[in-house]
Amino acid sequence: MNLRNLGALAGTVILVAGACSSGAASPTATAVTPVVTPTPAASAPAASAPAAGIAVKIGIELPMTGGEAPNGVPTANGVALALSKIQVPGFTITIEQEDDALNGTHDPPTGAANMQKLANDPSVLFVVGPYNSSVAQAEIPVSNAAGLMQCSPANTNPGLTQTWGGVDPKTLRPTNPDKIAYVRVATTDDLQGAAGADIAYNVAGKKSAYVADDTETYGKGIADVFATNFTKLGGTVVKRDGIPDKTTDFTSYVTALKGLNADYVYYGGVTTSGLGIFRSQMASQQLATIPFGGGDGIVDGSAATASSFLNVAGADGDANTYGTVAGPHDIPNAAQFTSDYKAMFSADPGAYSAAAYACTQVFLQALKAVGTGVTDMAALREAVRAYVATPANSYDSALGTFSFDANGDTSQKIVSYYAFDATTKAWKFLSQRDFTANPVQ
Amino acid sequence: MTAATPSVARPRMRMIPWRAPVAVVAALVISYLVIANAAGAQAQEQFINALTIGALYALIALGYTMVYGIIELINFAHGEIFMCGSFVAWWLITTMGFTGTIHDLPILVIVLVVVFLVSMLVMGVVGVIIERFAYRRLRNAPRLAPLITAIGVSFILQNLVFVGISNSIVKVPQLIPFDLLQIGPLAIREINLFVIVFAVALMIALQLFITRTRLGTAMRSTAMDREAAQLMGVNINSTIAITFFIGSALAGAAGVVQTQYLGNTVFNIGFQSGLKAFTAAVLGGIGNTTGAAVGGFVIGFLEVTSSVYGIGRWSEAIVFGALVVVLIFRPNGILGQQLADRA
Repeated sequence: MNLRNLGALAGTVILVAGACSSGAASPTATAVTPVVTPTPAASAPAASAPAAGIAVKIGIELPMTGGEAPNGVPTANGVALALSKIQVPGFTITIEQEDDALNGTHDPPTGAANMQKLANDPSVLFVVGPYNSSVAQAEIPVSNAAGLMQCSPANTNPGLTQTWGGVDPKTLRPTNPDKIAYVRVATTDDLQGAAGADIAYNVAGKKSAYVADDTETYGKGIADVFATNFTKLGGTVVKRDGIPDKTTDFTSYVTALKGLNADYVYYGGVTTSGLGIFRSQMASQQLATIPFGGGDGIVDGSAATASSFLNVAGADGDANTYGTVAGPHDIPNAAQFTSDYKAMFSADPGAYSAAAYACTQVFLQALKAVGTGVTDMAALREAVRAYVATPANSYDSALGTFSFDANGDTSQKIVSYYAFDATTKAWKFLSQRDFTANPVQ
Repeated sequence: MTAATPSVARPRMRMIPWRAPVAVVAALVISYLVIANAAGAQAQEQFINALTIGALYALIALGYTMVYGIIELINFAHGEIFMCGSFVAWWLITTMGFTGTIHDLPILVIVLVVVFLVSMLVMGVVGVIIERFAYRRLRNAPRLAPLITAIGVSFILQNLVFVGISNSIVKVPQLIPFDLLQIGPLAIREINLFVIVFAVALMIALQLFITRTRLGTAMRSTAMDREAAQLMGVNINSTIAITFFIGSALAGAAGVVQTQYLGNTVFNIGFQSGLKAFTAAVLGGIGNTTGAAVGGFVIGFLEVTSSVYGIGRWSEAIVFGALVVVLIFRPNGILGQQLADRA
């Protein structure tokens, strides 16, 4: 038998397998990935709960499993907490939970499929999610086509709502370019990246930074903004790297740091795309003394939280670390919120729990305003969408009072600063900056 | 039987004995110069980084190539065996209660021997079991059937770990120190030295086993012509089982190296590293054990070089681009078919 062509055959197989790895869902894996089941009430038909009002659903579309659990679970809890505290007369609201984590990592095609599933259910009037900007990119065309309003508690890539890098956000909503069906309560990376530069230059007092990203939508965007603003402040970017998110061996990147005389490392990305491993490999090569900064992708819980950034980076590697969150830390009634959250979930709230609570409040306020007497689900869905898309409406929420502009961005331009605290082995709130009053220069 | 086979299996290397060492030295010098051109003062360290990660890929690639050589199966579950090996190492190290570097040399040696032996043994047995139950009955089926089965086995192993052990990154205590050793002009971390020396030693041992022992001869004859080998009295089933055992044990060793060198593991690492290692096997000439080792080092070199030149963003494109280029000009890989050369 002739074997000459088998090398080429094998090569083809590699390339096909490589293409699969870059995002296509594998059916077998999806089947086994545990999906967090909705609350029992979610599947109960309206008829079985008489006199409780019209049964409607709020969708949650977040990464809930694997390395993403520290992100998705506390955020989803924020929605459940809001529903337990606030009722809308005439309606019974249940949660329809979806998980966009595939094999433990957020996955844009899975997110889009989940969004389609939610859109196909007429009783779903509103969706809280997603968590990752790359997933939002895949979902916005779907929610836009369905006219289903989604509110992201955590998306920060500016391009989702604004012209960014020369790309019009209308390309994300080809079906109804002028009707938005996506809003977010987190502010954007043009501010979060600037805040990161502010920390590096002014808080940590460093002048030369090595800037890397994980080559994803969020990571590259925030790292670019950091680099621009760090230079503007007077610092020097000694090297700008892109490290693919599937990388396992960061050794050569860490080694290269030694020749760069960098006194700060800023890495745009999330824990699951390798930032924790990078930091731990910095520690292995005795470079943990160089401070490490990142965005909200690394502010995902204390060192005790399994698979959080601080946990992966390690007890030694995580000192000297700074992070930001694209929303206010000092929220009205913070103590009350924390104790309510603890009472319900026996844990501390996550970085975006209050944001998810606020998203839910937006929905509940809209439903209260437009829902009376409407029984047609399609009309109700559109009425909720139109209400939320109207910039004149403002919301008194867990995050404070805000409104959405015509793009769907929040009027709250606040970024919170955090640093690793060696005693609690968790993130410690430093300060927050309101960019409305104190814009990027 | 034993007298005639070896001379057929190794056609050219024997005739020009100086060619291989010269090629290896030349390749090393050229790689070093390419890296040094951009790495500045870190040239030596980056070169060692490339050799280390290359050694890891090579160890995994050997299993792919051995299985392919003998039954022409692209064993996609092999990457998962590597991953399981790393979890065995994690389990052993944490169960024994170690949390960090061991500075006491005798203890370190004992612990490493235990971890490597257990991981290699367990994964070797797992490999044999997989072959016995998933592949043996499909040996004469159309080639696509065992291929799909292999992908299925890969998902089974991955999901077992995902559901049963951990669904996210697991930190593994690194036992071997990262301290710099000064050997003449060469500064090298203890861990890198260990990985390179250990991997190369395993590869040499494998080579000697394949070329110098009766079992190795049986493996090569089975690869060349299964029916003829059987007629000559070779027990095909046990020979194939042994091939799976050795390949899987090497993947188990690679799993331990992963945890010790990089300090972590995760349930889906088998896919990532497995794909790279499989590429290495094809690049070097699938079915050819020397080729797999060469391919592993080439890929490690390409990855580190792209990082050193500041084009890490493109590292995967560079690795797979190199594969395409090599296959265009040498469809059988850099060294071509050797174990199963019947063209």
